[in-house]
Amino acid sequence: MAKKPVKQKKLLAHKNTIKFGSFERRRGLEGWAFSLPWIVGFLLLMVLPLFLSVRTSFYQTKLTDPFGFDGDSQFVGFDNYVEVVKDPAYGEVVFNSFLESLYKVPVVVAFALFVAVLLKQDFPGRTIFRVIFFIPVILAGVIMSYLFSDEVGSISVFSTLTSSQTFGFVYKIFGRNIIGQIGTIMWASSVEILIFLAALQSVPAILYEVVELDGATAWESFWHVTLPYISPFVILNCVYALVDTFVDARNPVMSLLSNLNQAGNKYGVAAALSWMYMLATLLVILIFILLTRRWLR
Amino acid sequence: MKAFFSKIADWFRGLVDKYRNLGYMAKKKLKFIIGRVFLYFVLIELAYLFILPFIYIFTTSMMSFQDYMDPTVKWIPTSIHWKNYSDAFKALAYFGMFKGDTGEKVFMSSFLNTCVTSFGSAILQSISCAIIGYALGRFKFKGRNIVFITVILALLIPPQTMIIATYGIWSKAGFINTFVPILLPCIFGLGIRGGLFALIYMYFFQRIPDAMDDAARIDGAGPFRVFLQIMLPLVRSAFAIVFIFSFVWHWNDNYEAPMYMYKDKVLTLQPKLQHIRQYFADLVGDSGAAEGGIGKAMTEPTLFAGCLLVLLPVLIVFIVGQKKLAAGIERIGVIE
Repeated sequence: MAKKPVKQKKLLAHKNTIKFGSFERRRGLEGWAFSLPWIVGFLLLMVLPLFLSVRTSFYQTKLTDPFGFDGDSQFVGFDNYVEVVKDPAYGEVVFNSFLESLYKVPVVVAFALFVAVLLKQDFPGRTIFRVIFFIPVILAGVIMSYLFSDEVGSISVFSTLTSSQTFGFVYKIFGRNIIGQIGTIMWASSVEILIFLAALQSVPAILYEVVELDGATAWESFWHVTLPYISPFVILNCVYALVDTFVDARNPVMSLLSNLNQAGNKYGVAAALSWMYMLATLLVILIFILLTRRWLR
Repeated sequence: MKAFFSKIADWFRGLVDKYRNLGYMAKKKLKFIIGRVFLYFVLIELAYLFILPFIYIFTTSMMSFQDYMDPTVKWIPTSIHWKNYSDAFKALAYFGMFKGDTGEKVFMSSFLNTCVTSFGSAILQSISCAIIGYALGRFKFKGRNIVFITVILALLIPPQTMIIATYGIWSKAGFINTFVPILLPCIFGLGIRGGLFALIYMYFFQRIPDAMDDAARIDGAGPFRVFLQIMLPLVRSAFAIVFIFSFVWHWNDNYEAPMYMYKDKVLTLQPKLQHIRQYFADLVGDSGAAEGGIGKAMTEPTLFAGCLLVLLPVLIVFIVGQKKLAAGIERIGVIE
């Protein structure tokens, strides 16, 4: 009599094992179940449009069939790409936008790291300061473009510096454009500050204690403890800032793209341009990651 | 007597021991004070730079045209010019009956439209990105790396690359000028910077100790119950960060929303704000006003009044969620 329930239990356990497999397998299935919505969305809303835009880029689109879906358009092979490469206007815009990000990214990342190090410290009122540095996120969009057109960002210490007699040489060397923009570049660094703050707070406090006992100054502990520890985040932030400047609405390529889109019959060329631009962007990011993989753990 | 002297000597010796490194202590204290002064100086200077646009928008929106042109009036207007706000309210079709495309007066509210896109997207994204973040942060399954790479790709590939194709798909499906093209991607965790939100969630989920869900599992909770009742409450601060960022970015979106929703009835605030100059130019019948010159300067205070009207709801959400956001930032990355 007493044996019966025990047997049943064993059977049930056995059944479970067969149904779901081992614990690891079950966990794996759960992982897939939770990522299912994402995968469906990614296939429908990323892979499909990407495929279609590749298709569009090979067609000479017409106003009656602007996207090249209906078969009204003509297959032209690489003609759209050739047109983009040949036209010096496109090349100049793309080159300028790359050049722009070349000086924007280091400034944004260095500034974000500096602010994050300051904000990481424990001092009264740090919560207020932490919130203040997120204000630019609120001001994005059209308001930001109006502010840029009025050059509010230049009513700052930087314009005072550049206009004063003592620092006139800075102006002469770099030109007003760059110095005046530093203030506005800083506004683009809110997300980077957040990421750096997270990284800095994940550095174990014990490491600082150890180097302090060994007699390291704050400066040394920054270079030998903090920076090596957060180096992957520096690279992450560089990549993020790169992407951010590449897809920024004020980026010349982006405005060129939306102009092409509004033209209606130039979708094929626009698709070709956007594909080449995206591939160039990914290539730059890939090269950057390959160059810096020493610091990626 | 001898005992008394020795007592005094002991006391004195103790005093000397206590303040042996007085110079060192003073130096340390001085260093600390100088550091603090420097810290506050730098932070206040930078904070000023970050607050400046707010002050500029706020004061300019209150100025009359005379104040705006007067070089002696720099920050504080001589009187508050309320008409700016009502003008901007009309120009933005903020809420109420306005002249539509057809010329008749119809109910329009770019404010409500923007509320639907941004609140809807924020709620949907903060749930759907939590799901994918949970999958990536808590499970080690075959193909996890592939899913992770798709998240990174979603973050890296600019929406501009496929906007043409996406527009084609939506127009074929008949969803142009509805809210579907904005809200549907958010259900799947995509949408504006969905990849970034997924990564934030992943980061927070990874920090929770394994013992948490093991305990819940031993107590008999199923996978969905563990997720809903154990894990989600633990990442409340991530939820606050994602919700606020998603809300703000969708509110300020001037690319995707006007692309899919261009009819006057469903237009959001940002494109309205962008065309506010054109609106005034049409109103006075001067086509040159939009480009520049005196006509442009005339509308400048009204323009910033419009900016303030657009900004206000975001500001309210930011102030309400500020405490949660700060707590989230405070906690992010801290090892428990």
